Amino acid sequence: MRSNPLSIVKVEELKAYYVSESYGINSVVKAVDDVSFEIYEDEILGIAGESGCGKTTLLKTLLGTIKPPLSIFGGRIFYRIEDEYRDILSFREGELRDIRWKIVSYIPQGSMSVLNPVRKIKDTFLDFMEAHRPDISKSEFDSLVKNYLGALGLPTEVLDSYPHQLSGGMRQRVTIALSTIFKPKIVLADEPTTALDVVVQRGILQLLRKIQREEKNTLVVVSHDMGVHARISDRVGIMYAGKIIEIGNTEEIYTNPLHPYTRYLISSLPKIGDKAYRTGVPGSPPSLSNLPAGCRFQDRCPEIKDICREEEPSLVEVNDNHKVACFLVSKGEENYES
Amino acid sequence: MIVIFVGVTIVFIVPRLTPMDPVQSIISRVTALVDTDPRAVEKLVETLTDLYGLRGSLLEQYLRFWKHLLSGDLGPSLTMFPASVVDIIKISLPWTIGLMTISTIIAWLLGIILGTLAGYFSNKRWSQILGTVVMCIYPIPYYIIALILVLLFAYLLPIFPLMGGASIGLKPSFSWSFITSLLKHGFLPAISLVIGTIGWIFMSQRALISRLVASDFIVFAETASLPRKKILSYLIRNSMLPQITDLALSLGGIFSGAIITEQVFSYPGIGVVLYSAILQGDFNLMMGISIFSIIGIATAALVLDLIYPLLDPRIRYK
Ligand SMILES: Nc1ncnc2c1ncn2[C@@H]1O[C@H](COP(=O)(O)OP(=O)(O)OP(=O)(O)O)[C@@H](O)[C@H]1O
Ligand SMILES: [Mg+2]
Repeated sequence: MRSNPLSIVKVEELKAYYVSESYGINSVVKAVDDVSFEIYEDEILGIAGESGCGKTTLLKTLLGTIKPPLSIFGGRIFYRIEDEYRDILSFREGELRDIRWKIVSYIPQGSMSVLNPVRKIKDTFLDFMEAHRPDISKSEFDSLVKNYLGALGLPTEVLDSYPHQLSGGMRQRVTIALSTIFKPKIVLADEPTTALDVVVQRGILQLLRKIQREEKNTLVVVSHDMGVHARISDRVGIMYAGKIIEIGNTEEIYTNPLHPYTRYLISSLPKIGDKAYRTGVPGSPPSLSNLPAGCRFQDRCPEIKDICREEEPSLVEVNDNHKVACFLVSKGEENYES
Repeated sequence: MIVIFVGVTIVFIVPRLTPMDPVQSIISRVTALVDTDPRAVEKLVETLTDLYGLRGSLLEQYLRFWKHLLSGDLGPSLTMFPASVVDIIKISLPWTIGLMTISTIIAWLLGIILGTLAGYFSNKRWSQILGTVVMCIYPIPYYIIALILVLLFAYLLPIFPLMGGASIGLKPSFSWSFITSLLKHGFLPAISLVIGTIGWIFMSQRALISRLVASDFIVFAETASLPRKKILSYLIRNSMLPQITDLALSLGGIFSGAIITEQVFSYPGIGVVLYSAILQGDFNLMMGISIFSIIGIATAALVLDLIYPLLDPRIRYK
């Protein structure tokens, strides 16, 4: 890792809430609440956290696809575009459409059904090509797509198939191809391996890693599975109830987890040669529409202190590039046993 | 094929189950008008029984019925004697087919386009207004719409003719005067049919589209900044399966005519013929029209079976 990596995205104090009104009562789901972090050039950043903690919502705001009931309640998202940091939250709809697939692209969650069921794969590629690279001629297009699919381990026959004729793994590869063929600077992948069997999962992860290493672009991988991050991420951010509670280099996070939630996640990973029964994290996260005062992890924390019920800890740097939001750490208690 | 066979058999059996005896009803009508010699009446009964295919056992009648049917003979009309059923249908059916096909297709296309736009731009102001307008028109019974149109545009403001399919005396031809007259006469009935059927198509299409808009592949296409036009075409293409079914079945069903439309606008189509056939107990004519409509629906179903795999690649026949 370089000592001073260049950031391509800077997220500052981002707040994105779902506001819905039913029978006159407003409910606000604070899916992303005061989140700040940076995404570097040429890295794989993992985002971990259990279901419903706001991972997909975070990606949606990064893409600028913010539609009711989701809206932004504050913060900025800077993208480095032509060596200048620009806040995409101030962009008009047209500008947002322009950055997608050129600068940032997306591999959606549940991407089994993201391909138009009545269109051949070839035609879907053609649609994407017409939208983003109208300069490419028909014959160039043919060889480009064929070569690219070949490089991603897909046979050419795939092009003449309909989505339902492909296996889950192949469909996922096609989606990855659609999202990476124009060489965007950042690729956001939401749970790219969930719903695939283990062998296919490994292939997809290798593929994503290979693309990133070749392009030297940035890959953000969202997954609730800590095993996935151990395998491909350079850095990992842990999300809990709408917040990033710990972020750092993968090795650091796995060998020296500081937040009690991160420790739970890591200790629930199976290890080779270890037959002991692994437990999940006890209890359940707070409701995002009715958050407690103080730390959001208080009800599940084994080492809770008084201050945890009164104040919310903020993300502080404890180590080179390792940040954590926990009073157990920030209040000078780093020497407790792990 | 089986559908047609079963349908035609039912058409054969049902009139024979009704207590009405067509021969006796004619006889009584004739004898009520003029005094006749009982021998002549007996003779008449004989001929009529023959003519209507009512001689012999039920099985014999049934076989004879098929023989005639396959040679294109549906027998004479009982009330418009001696015109044959085939001739009557031949004269009135083109009017109905012309009117109904055109208005069904217009209503369908318009309903699909408006429904798609309203479903896709569901939070735009105009879309909500359009939805409300349709919601207001939709529950109005069809005959009220038809009557209002007649009152407004044929009676109070005589822009359009009150009755008929074309001006009397004009011979069907491709002449300018015949075609304008045809369009003028067909306009109000067609508009009434379009208004009467578009509500359903609009609302079902809008519902289909608003479900599709939330589906993974549309959200992905939107995220990937595919142009609006492309996304609308994805939406329409994916809503075609149920909508084509609807269209084909309505087109197949036009043979039984638009009874109310043709009555209100005095349109010379098959609906008027069917209506009077029912009123006057003209079994042969009713059977003839029913057979046509069975064939119509069966053909539509067959065509659908053939085009389903083209509409949706997930449907394949072995
Ligand atoms: N359209 C919506 N309206 C209201 N609330 C929503 C909506 N979409 C998501 N939420 C809520 O926002 C929170 C975060 O959702 P999000 O999809 O970002 O979670 P996630 O971390 O991606 O979860 P998963 O692992 O299940 O995909 C959840 O509590 C969810 O219930
Ligand atoms: Mg998610």
